[in-house]
Amino acid sequence: MSNQTPGWWRRAGVDLRLLLMSVLLVAMGIVFNVMSGGVFLSPENLYNVAQQTAVVGIVATVMVLVIVARHIDLSVGSVMGFVGVLIAYLQYTSGWSWPTACLAGLAVALLVSIYQGWLTAMLGVPSFVVTLGGLMSFRGAAFLVADGKTQPVNDEFFQRLGGGYDGGIGTTATWILAAFVAVVLFARMLQKRRARAHHEMPNEPLWLELLLTAVPVAVVFVFAAVMNNYQIASKDAPQGLPIPVLIWAVVAIVLSFIVHRTRFGRYVFAMGGNPDAAALVGIPVKRVTLMLFALLAVLVTVAAIVSIARLNAGTNSLGTGMELYVIAAAVIGGTALAGGSGSIFGSVLGALIMQSLDSGMLLLDVPIGKRMVIIGQVLIVAVVFDVLYRKRFGEN
Amino acid sequence: MSTIDASSPLVELREIRKAFGGVKAVDGVSVNLHPGEVVAVLGHNGAGKSTLMKMLAGAYPIDSGDTLIAGEKVHIRTPAEAQALGIETIYQTLALADNLDSVSNLFLGREKMTRWNTLDDHFMEVQARKVFHRLNKNFTNIRIPVRRLSGGQRQVVAISRALYFNARILIMDEPCAALGPEETAMVGGLVKQLKSDGVGIFLITHDMPDVFSLSDRVAVMKNGKLVGTYRTEDVTEDEVLGMIIAGKRPEGKEQAHR
Repeated sequence: MSNQTPGWWRRAGVDLRLLLMSVLLVAMGIVFNVMSGGVFLSPENLYNVAQQTAVVGIVATVMVLVIVARHIDLSVGSVMGFVGVLIAYLQYTSGWSWPTACLAGLAVALLVSIYQGWLTAMLGVPSFVVTLGGLMSFRGAAFLVADGKTQPVNDEFFQRLGGGYDGGIGTTATWILAAFVAVVLFARMLQKRRARAHHEMPNEPLWLELLLTAVPVAVVFVFAAVMNNYQIASKDAPQGLPIPVLIWAVVAIVLSFIVHRTRFGRYVFAMGGNPDAAALVGIPVKRVTLMLFALLAVLVTVAAIVSIARLNAGTNSLGTGMELYVIAAAVIGGTALAGGSGSIFGSVLGALIMQSLDSGMLLLDVPIGKRMVIIGQVLIVAVVFDVLYRKRFGEN
Repeated sequence: MSTIDASSPLVELREIRKAFGGVKAVDGVSVNLHPGEVVAVLGHNGAGKSTLMKMLAGAYPIDSGDTLIAGEKVHIRTPAEAQALGIETIYQTLALADNLDSVSNLFLGREKMTRWNTLDDHFMEVQARKVFHRLNKNFTNIRIPVRRLSGGQRQVVAISRALYFNARILIMDEPCAALGPEETAMVGGLVKQLKSDGVGIFLITHDMPDVFSLSDRVAVMKNGKLVGTYRTEDVTEDEVLGMIIAGKRPEGKEQAHR
């Protein structure tokens, strides 16, 4: 059995498993870089990997919560396709402005999610079945919206939401943002120490916490520097942070906040840990489940917007197979399929690992068939690792 | 507790009925509980005692019958409503979220929020330390998931939920199952302490020594019906077992309703 007094890394809030995932990600980057002759870690490739990952990453953050609550949503790819085509259709064929089209898309996504969530929460139909049906139905709906025709989106501002040619926020804004993140991280660390001291709880040594805060800050600055180093040949300034990555980061921060600081987040975890206990202590399980599905709808819409903006079009095949990537990202990031444990930051790492693997192999000209075989097996390796890890440490 | 007239029951359940499908789980049961009293609710598995208690705790809706709390008729539809009336339950399964830590479990469903409507973790941790310390001085690892705690520590967390929120009616469902002798003694001591504070306790148990050392009255159920309610001191262990197993009321003993 595990020891009762946690090690310093745990007391200081370091998750061993996430640390391992980070190491794995870095190792993958180095290996691919060597094998590709220095292309993989070039600013251009990293810029592309980062923004390609954003769509999967955005949905994966909320998929973590869905899985934690002992549900699953297999229909995210299809719903994203459906909503994406709808938003593009409303802009291109119906001539709506992009904000109204997006709001209409959001409304439809909420309807879809509440319908599926209602079947799950109120009638107790397993979400696996509901969303497996949805996987098929909403792919069909995506076809029906525009009769299978591709819907281009032309609004220049809208296109920037997907990254691409004008989709970076520029170098100055990137540096300011990085500095802002650094200040916030250090301020939070100090504020937490003060609060603990105020409540007469023990603090870790200052140097240790400074070091532990300095690591993510360094990562942020390195990332900012890399993004500021990528310049499209026909442009006269570097790109800076791609907007999809910015959106993803905001989504991840908001969801982390929800998980750690709100009742809703705590209830989602309680429901996953012990559904009976959650009901017995008076948690409104059905309402929380519905809210969770509504949150999923919001983020699927965001992902749909980023996705069609990136492709400059909505097609009925948008998001095909995405559910696998999203669930894999969550699982690789340490979300237990049995429910009850998972982290938003883990899903970020998981999404990056999935995407790095995919584009790394693409760079090395691994054929599509082999890529699919490998990625499928990587998901299984992640689950096996999860099972073994939990057996070894008996916890999350 | 001094405001409650000692002569009026804290809890009065009248003709409570509950059916699951065609099965009458609880069939016209009336039982009451006074402040500072421990009533042991006994019966076989499936006798309906847990169902009866879950209705009082708001976990199951009541099909028919009246619930009176301190003389006032109430309709308890959810666990939250039961908690608002001062009814706390310690379930056999402990009803803890295994993946959350002790502090989160203590406040689960009743989190203390800051003025920005976020979780006030520091406040909750400080309060939790105090209440856990009252029950077990060695219990300090309160920030690890409760699945890694011992049975006794988990029981401390479950009982703390009742203590911290000042239960006036406590339902204990097999509180000593899966506990060692020391921890059983701790629960016994706690029951006596709560009793002297005027808390009314329904104690569901299979353990005869617990029944005779802790309870003031026994209420025995069989097949969803109440066999009878007697003062514990008036009956012998054999008579109690006779009621549980055969549903046979002891001859010449008078039932007691307080």
